[in-house]
Amino acid sequence: MNQPVIEVKKLYYRYPYADRYVLNDINFSVNKGEFLCITGENGAGKTTLSLIISGIIPQAQGGKMRGTVTIAGLDTSEHELAVLSQNIGIVLEDPETQLFTSKVINEVAFGAENLQIPPEEIFSRIRWALKVVRLEGYENQHPMMLSGGQKQRVAIASVLAMRPNILVLDEPTSQLDPIGTIEVFEVIKELKEKYSMTIVMVTHKSEEMAYFADNILVLSHGSVLAYGKPKDILSNREVTTNAWITIPQISELYLKLKERGIDLGEFPILQEEGVALIRDLLEKRLSANA
Amino acid sequence: MPEQLIQINNLTYTYANGFSALKGINININKNEFVAIIGQNGSGKSTLLKNLTGLLKPAIGDVLVDGLNTKEVSIAKLSCKVGFVLQNPDRQLFADTVEEEISFGPKNMKFSLQEIKERVEMALEYTGLKDNRDKFPPSLSAGERAKVVIASVVAMRPEIIILDEPTTGQDYRGCYQIMNIAREFHRAGHTVIVVTHNMALVAEYAYRTIVFCKGEVLLDGTAREVFGQPKILQMSYIIPPQITQIGQALEGELKTKKTFLRVDEIRDFISEIYNA
Amino acid sequence: MPVIEYLPGNSFFHKLDPRVKIIFLLSFAVFIFTTRNFYIISVILALALFLWITSGIPIAKIINIVRLMLPIFIFVIIVQALFQVGHTNLVSPLIPKFVPLIGGRGRITLEGTIFGLVIGYRLLTLIILMPLISMTTDINTLCLGMVKMGMSYKIAYTATIAINMIPSMEEQIMTVMDAQKLRGFAVFEEGRIHEKMKAYPTLVVPMVIGAMKKSMLMSVAMDARAFGSKKTRTYIDKIAFTATDYSALIMLIILLGILSYYNFIR
Repeated sequence: MNQPVIEVKKLYYRYPYADRYVLNDINFSVNKGEFLCITGENGAGKTTLSLIISGIIPQAQGGKMRGTVTIAGLDTSEHELAVLSQNIGIVLEDPETQLFTSKVINEVAFGAENLQIPPEEIFSRIRWALKVVRLEGYENQHPMMLSGGQKQRVAIASVLAMRPNILVLDEPTSQLDPIGTIEVFEVIKELKEKYSMTIVMVTHKSEEMAYFADNILVLSHGSVLAYGKPKDILSNREVTTNAWITIPQISELYLKLKERGIDLGEFPILQEEGVALIRDLLEKRLSANA
Repeated sequence: MPEQLIQINNLTYTYANGFSALKGINININKNEFVAIIGQNGSGKSTLLKNLTGLLKPAIGDVLVDGLNTKEVSIAKLSCKVGFVLQNPDRQLFADTVEEEISFGPKNMKFSLQEIKERVEMALEYTGLKDNRDKFPPSLSAGERAKVVIASVVAMRPEIIILDEPTTGQDYRGCYQIMNIAREFHRAGHTVIVVTHNMALVAEYAYRTIVFCKGEVLLDGTAREVFGQPKILQMSYIIPPQITQIGQALEGELKTKKTFLRVDEIRDFISEIYNA
Repeated sequence: MPVIEYLPGNSFFHKLDPRVKIIFLLSFAVFIFTTRNFYIISVILALALFLWITSGIPIAKIINIVRLMLPIFIFVIIVQALFQVGHTNLVSPLIPKFVPLIGGRGRITLEGTIFGLVIGYRLLTLIILMPLISMTTDINTLCLGMVKMGMSYKIAYTATIAINMIPSMEEQIMTVMDAQKLRGFAVFEEGRIHEKMKAYPTLVVPMVIGAMKKSMLMSVAMDARAFGSKKTRTYIDKIAFTATDYSALIMLIILLGILSYYNFIR
């Protein structure tokens, strides 16, 4: 029986000193082990929503919040960050704003130290976290001397060391080059497949959504525009146009072939899937002609 | 005979810490070209751009921009010929209003007030910022801030405009708007050089593509030629756009070695075979 | 900037507990600013240079620091020479009598000049003493030292993180200067002093905005790591007093004793 580990009900939010609400009537839930992608144009409220889910709003950053957000059964407005951060962790967009110390090992320990975890326990968590992000051996390196992808992986490791079961990633690869993006991609993949973490990822990249998402939440101007399975969302022209979402090129190909009267059958969102469909189609056509 | 606007001869540059960023680069760029420069971080792309604009001077070799040797001319003087939009817009905004920001360049070029006004209007129009002319640049959205910087450079009407990873951190709409401004600039007769990691954009907008790898030019040709060499591109950790990969995966079925750059192209090809 | 770097090493000074180094710095800093005795400051300066060399830090860095501070030294000396109370005039009046309105005003005094030199000398010694600590101590250990000495961990960490931001702020200023050059602004390359003076303030706004944005983002990241959520925190680093530390402290006390004697007995 799949339990919701994140429940957002009738959420409205306005920043301190602001007059308009940046989030209006947001409702959705995420089950244990699920991978949710949140997308929408810049300014739609995605980062704000990710900060709210992780409890940083309202615990550390004020503003006016209405509605309830429940993480692992805990109401985020009633539990302190020390408790919430052991259930849900967040990795932000810019790796440089998440590094505070002069050694990787201190960086990864930072959060756990704040939680008063005993040092021996922290060391074993660090070992595990660095293994997951594939940075074993980098303990004594200065974080600022690492590549973008490595920095972001250190940030992920420092959140993992707090042992949350839910991870929120806010556009984790948008500031990275292709290699860094692949490195982080691999780590996310492992977290999903090997460690069965519940993951919420904010992203613009349709390939990432197509690959990872069990569900996609589309935000537009602070409201939920659409919610559903990747194939349903990405095949919905109205949604993708209004929220300025690019769809994978293979999906576009499907739609353009359909315009010419050629139906591949299923709506592909992954490259391999689409290529296989095209192969089948052409084979059938050939044998039909033969 | 197309005129050579930029001549890079044996350009070699090593940083103070010993890192050899460029190793004897030779590139010629003509008028009205649209060039994309791709390659992993550390391959020399940024160093090349800095040498083109005079921010760095070649250790060995020369860079000639429209006849001017970058070693002999000040950066300020060179900026009239080659405009550079750096990666982070926030580091290039220092005026109180968008209008002031855009007029900074023309003012430095000592134009008349009338001329400056005209150029500012033109740049605002070009980048769709007319409604934002009185705003404080840092208060605008990421996409708008990037456009303000582009407008500020466009107002100087340089022959060449260089954009360093203009789409980082932008959403789809921002990317699209910025690349379209670049395309307009190219259509108006200028030369555009874009450094980017986004291969789909390269396929969509660029005519010529230069691949950098470890301080050297790995490939230099049309986007089609370059993406048609996936094995070589792998050396620089570059993956062609999805549509190109799809074409390459279907080589057998489509019975062609053609390199596809756009969805339309491959759609037409499949269509033909289907209806044959 | 030289103040922030950490150069690992095995020297005597390197191995000292950060708390000893902090006590060292604080006690000498107090001494430097309460004494007017040239010789005492010189002794401290000599000690600093001695430790600098034995710690293996390149001398080039001292020259760098002094060069950076030169404008401030000159400024201080001039201000004191002009405005400090003194009897012996070196140059009087400063502005020749024939100049209308302000003629006949201003003077440079001997006392003022000497006082200016003393302040300059104090600053010089302090400027050489401070990096000695930061270059031989890993910042996390230094932070831990401060906390163990009673400083709130929030202040200690905020201070060290802020200090760590300085190099990137410096880089930001350079980038903004480049951006201005790239738009035809020749002042930084070819302008005269007064033009440059007018231009530097324009670099401040983007830098401040950049720093503000970065701090806001960093504070969110720190909240995400539950920073400040509890009154105390645990540390994976360990610092402990060894025999070397105790002997260093004893030597320090003896030295301070001798200096105090000469200072107060004159």
